[in-house]
Amino acid sequence: MSLRIPWAEKYRPKRLNEIIGNRRAALELYRWVLQWTKGIPDKKAALLYGPPGTGKTTAVYAVANELGYEVIEMNASDLRRAQDIDRVIARAVSVGSLFGAKGRIILLDEIDGMSGTEDRGGLSEILRVIEVTRVPIVMTANDPWDPKYRPLRDVSVLIRFNRVNKNIVTKILQNICMKEGIKADLSALRLIAELSEGDVRSAINDLQAIAEGRKVVTVEDVKALIAKRYREYDAFTVLKLLFSSRTSEQARAVLSQSSLDYNDLKEWIHENLPYQYSDPEELAEAYDALAKADVYLGRIVKSQDWGLLSYAIDMMTAGVAMARRHPYHFVKYKFPSRMLILSKTKEVRQIRDRVLERIARKAHISKRGAATEYLPFLRVIFRANPKMAAGIAKWLELNEEMIEYVAGDKSIAKKIVEFIKPQAKTRRRRTQRTLF
Amino acid sequence: MSEILWAEKYRPRTLDEIVDQEEIVSRLKQFVKEKNVPHLLFAGPPGTGKTTAALALAHDLYGERWRENVLELNASDERGIATIRERVKEYARTVALGEVPFKLIILDEADNMTADAQQALRRIMELYTVTARFCLIANYPSKIIEPIQSRCAFFRFKPLSKEHVFQRLRYIAEQEGVKVTEEGLEAIWEVSQGDMRRAINTLQAAAALGVVTAETVYKAVGMAKPKEVQEMLMLALKGDFLGARDKLRELTINYGLSGIDIIKQIHREIFNPRSSIKLPEDIKVEIADLAGEVEFRMVEGADDEIQLCAFLAKLALIGKKLRYGGKS
Repeated sequence: MSLRIPWAEKYRPKRLNEIIGNRRAALELYRWVLQWTKGIPDKKAALLYGPPGTGKTTAVYAVANELGYEVIEMNASDLRRAQDIDRVIARAVSVGSLFGAKGRIILLDEIDGMSGTEDRGGLSEILRVIEVTRVPIVMTANDPWDPKYRPLRDVSVLIRFNRVNKNIVTKILQNICMKEGIKADLSALRLIAELSEGDVRSAINDLQAIAEGRKVVTVEDVKALIAKRYREYDAFTVLKLLFSSRTSEQARAVLSQSSLDYNDLKEWIHENLPYQYSDPEELAEAYDALAKADVYLGRIVKSQDWGLLSYAIDMMTAGVAMARRHPYHFVKYKFPSRMLILSKTKEVRQIRDRVLERIARKAHISKRGAATEYLPFLRVIFRANPKMAAGIAKWLELNEEMIEYVAGDKSIAKKIVEFIKPQAKTRRRRTQRTLF
Repeated sequence: MSEILWAEKYRPRTLDEIVDQEEIVSRLKQFVKEKNVPHLLFAGPPGTGKTTAALALAHDLYGERWRENVLELNASDERGIATIRERVKEYARTVALGEVPFKLIILDEADNMTADAQQALRRIMELYTVTARFCLIANYPSKIIEPIQSRCAFFRFKPLSKEHVFQRLRYIAEQEGVKVTEEGLEAIWEVSQGDMRRAINTLQAAAALGVVTAETVYKAVGMAKPKEVQEMLMLALKGDFLGARDKLRELTINYGLSGIDIIKQIHREIFNPRSSIKLPEDIKVEIADLAGEVEFRMVEGADDEIQLCAFLAKLALIGKKLRYGGKS
């Protein structure tokens, strides 16, 4: 185990042109560092911010490699004592590098996670360093919007890193599989990518956990890992504690005792409510509480009033638990199926969306309007009248799988396609004739 | 074989071809004559000719080259105001071709934009007013913010009259060689009211089954409704919550229906006299009340599936009370 190199490290892009997620942000950083070669710019620090695993640190090292610079990394422990900073700065500005580097970048990684920045002391040290520095200082943060970081934001160039698009994450995973000689189902990689929520590092870690030492990876393997992960997350224990709570206090304490966040908890409760509460009265009341929690969560998103969160949590913990009228009985809890259903039905949803797009374009309507105003009638026509259906299918430029989706039946779809085919043939013949 | 959707095939192409909404059409013709158009706001129920009028106006204004001078956007599909801004910016940058000095941007379903997005839209409208005129289309004009309304010439489209709908349906049936009975037309009117698009779609679906009679119309309408809505309600009322939840998921995935579409269909089903779900009258009212709350929450941004599940759980409870409450 100790010899295992994390793939996230092994395959970390070394050069700018290897970066495919958040490439634009990396280039922005590159241009800013380049400015230093022409003199000290107005803003002497860059603050790279965005969710974990979106390539902030990678970008810093890639830029350094590109320019032949050395990265001097400092972290929380370096910052505790002011003289450490002085030493580092002194080294960075005066002494030539041991490795003959052409320049240096000071990297303060994850300033919002640094223990030194909890108090203002640590921050003012950083500010002082920025003031005196003669080399570029790059900071990274997940969430720089806390008011206490305001002075830092004011003196920094802000560069945003977005969650990496899941198609890109999938591509990154595909590349790694190719290099590791692993045959992975595309759908398995897509599921990993989807679950990572744009966090490339966690996606690669997941892939490694599943695939290392194997030749083949399937969707089933991914699901097994997810289930295991969530078990480690102690979701089952949380649910048990929650549903067996006797007082609202006990129920409210549940979330703080676990590593689940409220969104995960919402999913887990949603999945398991009908298994836990078989009495319709209990079920209706508990779902009512969960639905209200969900309403509060929606209002938080809209108003950004996070003070509402405690009410949401009250409703989904105490509200759900207090619906119980019968003694607690243990049930086997299930992994939230919503996500799995989404990844399993991806194909049919894609076909559906493509059909709706075609209708929308031809009929001057939104996709949603196409779903409610046209699709139902098309279904009738396709099922009842293959000849009429064939004409419409041709007009909408539907392919065979789209026709099958609308008709909802393979054999009917075949019939419709038969009606289209002979025409296609004659047309081909005609074009050939004109060719000769 | 030139079968296409009749609603599209028989969409009027020019203002002259539009037989209804006379007052609106005559004002639009005036704009064409002057080769000048203010920003426009078309409002009215579905299927009353708003989009048709906008496209016909574009056609008459620019002639054969109308496609080059018209940008059609749909606020429900274009993701967010940023996308709309980008597309408008790009589009309005180049000069209009021909003798009309501006381009026309048709923004359909504009009332689906949030108030914030509409504020941004207002800025865009002002910024490009020299090179581009907007035609906003909405079902509910009250959902369009006041500053936009006050910048637009307002046109209110009314539901079409029975006479006009029948006239059009008869014309189409004649062109297509389809037999239609009087009862058939009445049945189409019953399910579509003044919504021409729905009327024509219903006509075509019924014609796909044979002669258009009351029977084929109701059969087509029955087939058009996803059977899962009724099945889901049945399962919930019988107390099979898990079965109902599975149906709900099928509906969203297979039919592409949003939570709001689904709750609307549930509402229609509850009050449908032809439905096989028979409920006491007071219970129907109770369910309508629940449905209204669920729809409101979803519009507000709540999670569709969780809200609908909470609704189904309440239905299960209602079902239990009905079975044990002495009513049979």
